[in-house]
Amino acid sequence: MTHDPAAMTRDLSTLPAQRPSLYRLAADGRSLDFLFAQCPACQALSFPANAPGCMHCGQAIDASAQVLRPGGGTLLEYVTLHLALAPGLPVPGIVGDIRIADRVVQQGLIAVDDESRLHPGMALRARAQPLASGDGYGCVFVPDRQAAQ
Amino acid sequence: MSHWIDGNGGVYVAGIGLHRYQFPTQTPYTHLGLTAVRAALADAGLAWQQVQSAYIGTTSIGMAAGPVMLRHLGAGGLAVMQVENASASGSFAFRQACIEVTHGISDVVLALGVDKHGDGRRAANKDGLEHLSDSATIPAVKFALMARSYLRERGAGAEAMARVAVKNHGNAARNPYAQLRKPRTLEQVLAATKVVGDLTVPQCCPRGEGAAAVLLVSGHALGRLGLERKRCVRVRASCANSERHQHPERSEGHQCPERSERHQPPERSQGHQHPERSAPGAPRHGASAIELVRSSAQAALEQAGIAATQLDLLELHDAFSVEELLYSEAIGLCAPGEGPAYLERGDSQIGGRCAINASGGLLGMGHPLGPTGIGQIVEITRQLRGAAEGRQHPGARWGMAHMIGLGAVAIAHVLSA
Repeated sequence: MTHDPAAMTRDLSTLPAQRPSLYRLAADGRSLDFLFAQCPACQALSFPANAPGCMHCGQAIDASAQVLRPGGGTLLEYVTLHLALAPGLPVPGIVGDIRIADRVVQQGLIAVDDESRLHPGMALRARAQPLASGDGYGCVFVPDRQAAQ
Repeated sequence: MSHWIDGNGGVYVAGIGLHRYQFPTQTPYTHLGLTAVRAALADAGLAWQQVQSAYIGTTSIGMAAGPVMLRHLGAGGLAVMQVENASASGSFAFRQACIEVTHGISDVVLALGVDKHGDGRRAANKDGLEHLSDSATIPAVKFALMARSYLRERGAGAEAMARVAVKNHGNAARNPYAQLRKPRTLEQVLAATKVVGDLTVPQCCPRGEGAAAVLLVSGHALGRLGLERKRCVRVRASCANSERHQHPERSEGHQCPERSERHQPPERSQGHQHPERSAPGAPRHGASAIELVRSSAQAALEQAGIAATQLDLLELHDAFSVEELLYSEAIGLCAPGEGPAYLERGDSQIGGRCAINASGGLLGMGHPLGPTGIGQIVEITRQLRGAAEGRQHPGARWGMAHMIGLGAVAIAHVLSA
């Protein structure tokens, strides 16, 4: 999924999130906040927030445990997807494992043109990306520095 | 020390049979399965009426396939159980059959793996939880990410894992039951169409259909049934576990389970140097999946009372080429980081120190899911009998069949001549 300059200027606040159980549009109208569940027993964060138990200690958790945190994290590893292995995945596109909270790793789409702009350990930020269908926004990750521009 | 696997005089593989693995056809699963069962009965010299129970490993056929298929052998009234555990479905069917024999419930049990190419629907996609990316549950992406980390941390190039495909396609070319029987050069593997990351098409296993069957007999019944002991291969260990951590990073301070009192190294192990147990040297990324393989294999080796380095044969889950490098290190055939050198030296070739995937593995023999784990047992049995014509590993005495299911469950069996 490449960086789309036109998407930068579009008002996303009127569009629904593609996956509302995972993220919301942040106050800047461009970044995403992630929904976590904070365990009442061990205080650790779980993702997604509607998981039926704490992913660390197994404690049952409910909607009252949900907390919003700025979406982003640390890039652990990345590869380019060359063949369409599932509907809707961009080809070619870059996917990576990203640590979005302590001991919470999620795979995400990274919106850069090629792998040369990435390295393990770099900070990424989650950004809203209008869907091609025009009926919502999804989540992509961009290098933190790019997101600040 | 006596283990449950030694109950009822021990459990022996007395008969083996296969239907060749192949690309999807219109052939009914009943034909695939019955071909394998009839071959196993003939191999053992047993009649269908002597079989007391059957376990069917399958993922994609549908509910209660066993009775539909087995009635064509004659109504036997035997107990039939269907087992599904992704890639490890056949392995777990085999394990259940072992449990039934060693606990004295039955003396003659069939373990059959049979499958048609299915739609790949997974429970992980139906748990009501969303993912940030639809790639999250695609095995090829997971292993491509692990491969990238592995190669980076080892300072190795993509050719290091491509050599796995060269070896295993070469072995498959010598196996009449293999789905792919075409040897490939390193150049061909590297130049093939890329799938994801550094994985090219020949480094990803084909899907298809097929069947594999084994007949298990208790040690106490071998004489009564008039079976020739030297043609039977003994099951020395059966161990299974599941993943402890769902995320791909190694957590800080993680304690490996074998550090517990329950998993002390066996006294019978001689000269065995296990790789670092707290896993320094193991790839950092994907460590939880590697730990799953390591701990299941180690438990099986301890139950069998041997060291990894005593294995002559190892059939393992090489759905993606990098897995063989990762798992040969994790199982302890070589030290962490030595996987590529172990392969390049020829140590994992037929005729080397331990023939890994002499059958051709998932990459070459194929991966029809339900049959795959039982097909590993068939290959090891054939090798331990000295009957693997055209690809026989000389002097084979010990073999391990290791399988994982969607990266979340693992199972290991050790067999001996």
